[in-house]
Amino acid sequence: MRPAIVAARNISKSFGGVQALREVSVALHRGEIRGLVGENGSGKSTLIQILAGVLGPDAGEIVVDGKTHAHLDPREAIRAGIQVIYQDFSLFPNLTVAENLALNTELEHGTRFVSRRRRRRIATAALARLGRDIDLTQTVAELSVADKQLVAIARALLHNARVIIMDEPTTALTQREVQTLFGIVADLKAQGMSLLFVGHKLQEVLALCDAITVLRNGRNVAEGEAAQFSPGDLVRHMTGRHLQGRPRATTVSEDEDLLKVTDLSKAGAFAHVSFAAGAGEVVGITGLLGSGRTELALSLFGLAPADSGTIEIAEQAVRIRSVPDALRAGIAYVPEDRLTEGVFAEQSIERNLAISGLSAWAHPAGWISPARLRRVVAPWLGRLRIQTPSARMPVAGLSGGNQQKVVLGRWLATQARVLILNGPTVGVDVGAKADIHAQIRELVGHGLTALLISDDLRELAEVCDRILVMHRGRIVREIPAAGCDENALARELGRLE
Amino acid sequence: MRRTAILIVPMLAAALLLSCRKSGPNVAAGPRPYTIATIVKLDGIAWFERMREGVQRFGRETGHKCFLLGPAQADAALQVQIIEDVIAQGVDAICVVPFSVEALEPVLRKARSQGIVVVSHEASNQVNTDAIIEPFDNLAYGAHLMDHLAHHMGASGQYAVFVGSLTSKSHNEWIDGAIARQKGKYPQMELVTERIEEYDNQNTAYEKTKELIRAYPELKGIQGSASTTAAGAGLAVEEKGLQEKLAVVGSGLVSQCRQYLVSGSTKLISFWDPADAGYVMNKIAVMLLEGKRPSDGLDLGVPGYTQLRQDTEKPNLFYGSAWVDVTRQNMDAYNF
Amino acid sequence: MRALLHRHEFYLAALTLALSAGIALANPAFCSVANLFDLCQGSTVMGLFALGVLIVLVSGGIDVSFAAIGAFSMYVTSKVLLGLDFQGSAAVALVLGGAIGTLLGLFNAFFIGFLRLPTLIVTLGSASLFRGFLLAFIGTAIVNTLPAGMVRFSKLTLWEMRLADGTIAGLPASFLLLVVAALLVGCVLQGTMLGRGIYALGGNPVAAARAGFNLRGRQLFIYGGTGLLSGLAGVVHACMMRNANPFDLVGMELNVLAAVVLGGAGITGGRGTVLGTLLGVGLIVTINNSLILLDVPSYWQKVVVGAVILVSTGITARTGWARARGAGLC
Repeated sequence: MRPAIVAARNISKSFGGVQALREVSVALHRGEIRGLVGENGSGKSTLIQILAGVLGPDAGEIVVDGKTHAHLDPREAIRAGIQVIYQDFSLFPNLTVAENLALNTELEHGTRFVSRRRRRRIATAALARLGRDIDLTQTVAELSVADKQLVAIARALLHNARVIIMDEPTTALTQREVQTLFGIVADLKAQGMSLLFVGHKLQEVLALCDAITVLRNGRNVAEGEAAQFSPGDLVRHMTGRHLQGRPRATTVSEDEDLLKVTDLSKAGAFAHVSFAAGAGEVVGITGLLGSGRTELALSLFGLAPADSGTIEIAEQAVRIRSVPDALRAGIAYVPEDRLTEGVFAEQSIERNLAISGLSAWAHPAGWISPARLRRVVAPWLGRLRIQTPSARMPVAGLSGGNQQKVVLGRWLATQARVLILNGPTVGVDVGAKADIHAQIRELVGHGLTALLISDDLRELAEVCDRILVMHRGRIVREIPAAGCDENALARELGRLE
Repeated sequence: MRRTAILIVPMLAAALLLSCRKSGPNVAAGPRPYTIATIVKLDGIAWFERMREGVQRFGRETGHKCFLLGPAQADAALQVQIIEDVIAQGVDAICVVPFSVEALEPVLRKARSQGIVVVSHEASNQVNTDAIIEPFDNLAYGAHLMDHLAHHMGASGQYAVFVGSLTSKSHNEWIDGAIARQKGKYPQMELVTERIEEYDNQNTAYEKTKELIRAYPELKGIQGSASTTAAGAGLAVEEKGLQEKLAVVGSGLVSQCRQYLVSGSTKLISFWDPADAGYVMNKIAVMLLEGKRPSDGLDLGVPGYTQLRQDTEKPNLFYGSAWVDVTRQNMDAYNF
Repeated sequence: MRALLHRHEFYLAALTLALSAGIALANPAFCSVANLFDLCQGSTVMGLFALGVLIVLVSGGIDVSFAAIGAFSMYVTSKVLLGLDFQGSAAVALVLGGAIGTLLGLFNAFFIGFLRLPTLIVTLGSASLFRGFLLAFIGTAIVNTLPAGMVRFSKLTLWEMRLADGTIAGLPASFLLLVVAALLVGCVLQGTMLGRGIYALGGNPVAAARAGFNLRGRQLFIYGGTGLLSGLAGVVHACMMRNANPFDLVGMELNVLAAVVLGGAGITGGRGTVLGTLLGVGLIVTINNSLILLDVPSYWQKVVVGAVILVSTGITARTGWARARGAGLC
């Protein structure tokens, strides 16, 4: 076997009792693109930081060109030719492209006085290597995300980089920009560069990488040539579970419609919407953007009340003009964007879980006993399998999937009966997605009704009992989930175009 | 947290004790030391430093607890705050030199409703007060300064006037008196613009004077009201080399204006001794606390206040005749 | 030319010129060498403070203690030199005042750079501390007679002429100090890695740390430098007023901050130039010193000053937004 340029061997690292990495190894060879995949919280970021010298490992060693180090410091790592393109690019938005490119080099050379000409020379050379042209006098804040990434890559190359580590580089890119990036990565590979591509979008990893290392819970679980893996394999390695082909248990009790909507209309959004959903049923609502599905969800939750029509919960007509109305009626809403609409990132997990039910748990005088709060919230940590050492930690410290679970749990804890889930798994990695799906099924198993609003056809096909298709503000089709799959759904939607 | 509590408890206890001490009637018979706060417009400037001397001298001589406070910036709201504070402390009397008479009315009403005696100075229109003691009749004082200004201007030409603030009653009365005198007696003189505010700030007076010189090249005279104008305007005139053309007169203190009196840019300053004013305010306050009413012709035993004149319309308003004129010739007689 | 139209300074200069033209139309006395000198002199103290504030704002911090530092340095310098009965040059006063200012600035830098406390909190606290210490332990009485050297300096002019109307128009020597300070600050900020590091720190502190900038060293420079400028401003103020009043200066913080922000410095850090700052100061000083020329009644002067600041910051900020939106940022 060829000797590796950089290798991490048997690295362990823990943070305050949480074992982030346990005897993890990864090696990079010349001209190789290696994918490092794993769910959020699997230890990918920690490993990157150890390779970049930002963190020191507790045990294990880092081998660079056959030389063994117990710990790299950032300067050593840079000297060894290791460069990290962070997710945030580490650029200076207020400075020009030229200056961003030249700054690190100048700093490295101990430059004291700035020379415009030298700066320009460095910057031009850096971009030339990527074969791209960007206006050097623009400030970075004015660039598109893809151009910012280019600048970050070009800057990395300036340091005689031999190894480039890219941390989830495709997150904010459009499909076309991703293709451009892949082109650049292939060029770099052809120049003999080694790349560590860190991500969780499996299609991309499989398409781009020569070899793949999979981490799960801070351990190596699989490693090999990319060709050896199928997407299903990767998912299994990443989650440790089989997620495919789970038959749906039909728990629908037909005797009672828990939610019944009749002739609901809202001007400019949707018209004459009628449907019913039983306890234990997951009803999917889909449609293209502008179909009125989100507006429907918002009006059921009282955020944008409907103009006419009736809503019945357990055969009782309810009037929903506001969010408190909806909460009183037992309707809960899990918003689309988990961070801006969902969690209070700086607040503790237990407070986040409790927020929607505060009025129910408060003492009549208005104060809330912390002990009571903890009692109400505690069971949900377990039921939702939220992984945290303490419920008093801020939500910001949780991984994306766990944050989504907190949002889910917050509404479940209110004893809601109808759950409106708007894109509950957008931006969530594959394992957490499966967890959330399982959770939804489990919850309806307890007699809830769930309305699942989603674009993800596979998700709809897998989770729902029935799928309502909306188009131009109306329900145009109802598809039973039995015997329906992703492709069939896509055909149905395609017909609407 | 616990440590804070440990500190707070004795502090609260002390505060309670202090406030209990005050619960008896204010108009006590018999000699006991009163606590008298003198609240001025602005602490730290020479004028009120001098007043502090008088207040402290009265305290030393009589055994009463007298002190002087003022905001660090000339600001009515800050002055109200300080008065609120001394009310809360439970003083027996408040002597006050208001920055803005109107702004202080509510807080002084509150003070009086709690039995605190209020004596004011430089505030002839104050309503919520027990006695107002003015060093002189403001209109007469302003007219007197105008006589000096006219003398230096040869009774003709353009002049401008400054006040500390447009809400300062006495400053505006001085200027009223001055303008009335000019109109009656010096028709050849001409006021160029409305009264200019300088916020008791020497730098502002200086900048505004330079601007006046720019805007009105023929300007021959400036009459100031706040003690900072005589120095600030004097500095500007000196820098512009206009000593022979542009005369500055106004209220001021020798310590602040000595170099401009020497250079001839400031011709004359007039003042009443703020130490004496502080002294007599406190003396009147004690009289009132002891149940005695001041009356017309009263002799307070302080130069300029040996025969108080009672206002004909407002029985609690008293005038002294305490102004002092200072020029280069006699300035060495004053050390403040 | 296109680049010029994108510059904040261009709009600011245009605004100042338009305003000046308006004033000159209303009162031709505005257009005179003497008035120009007066405006220069009026800008000196504010300009020195503003340069210090600029450095701090560029680095992503905020400083509200500079006026307190200026008052402290000015008063202590005057007292010390009087106590020593020092008769020599004002340069000694400037060095001493600058040194005291630097020390107080380093005091801020310690809390900000080493204890990593938020800059607003630190400087709010230190402003109170410096001022309280000054008034409580050093004195409250105005020093009316400054040391001889300072008085000489206050009368020193770079250039002096006697005008037809008999007045003297002089450009005070202290203005040179502002010019030199502006050139130095400009060179450091634009032309050295130290300065670029301050912009980098203001633009993205995390990236600055990753890039290997010595951040503590930078904080020492930033707050020490601001302290130095504030100390100098204090001494210059005392010289101009020919007295040292410990109550002076404090209260002008907002005006200085407004001038710097008006000059295009971002309150969130990473943006700002010396030229813009000087233009901002110039604009505010021009407004403040032209109201009598325009015969604006006293009651209205504050209204006019407030309105002009609001409108001009509004206009300059809008042009910034428009550019950002054009680039797809907003």
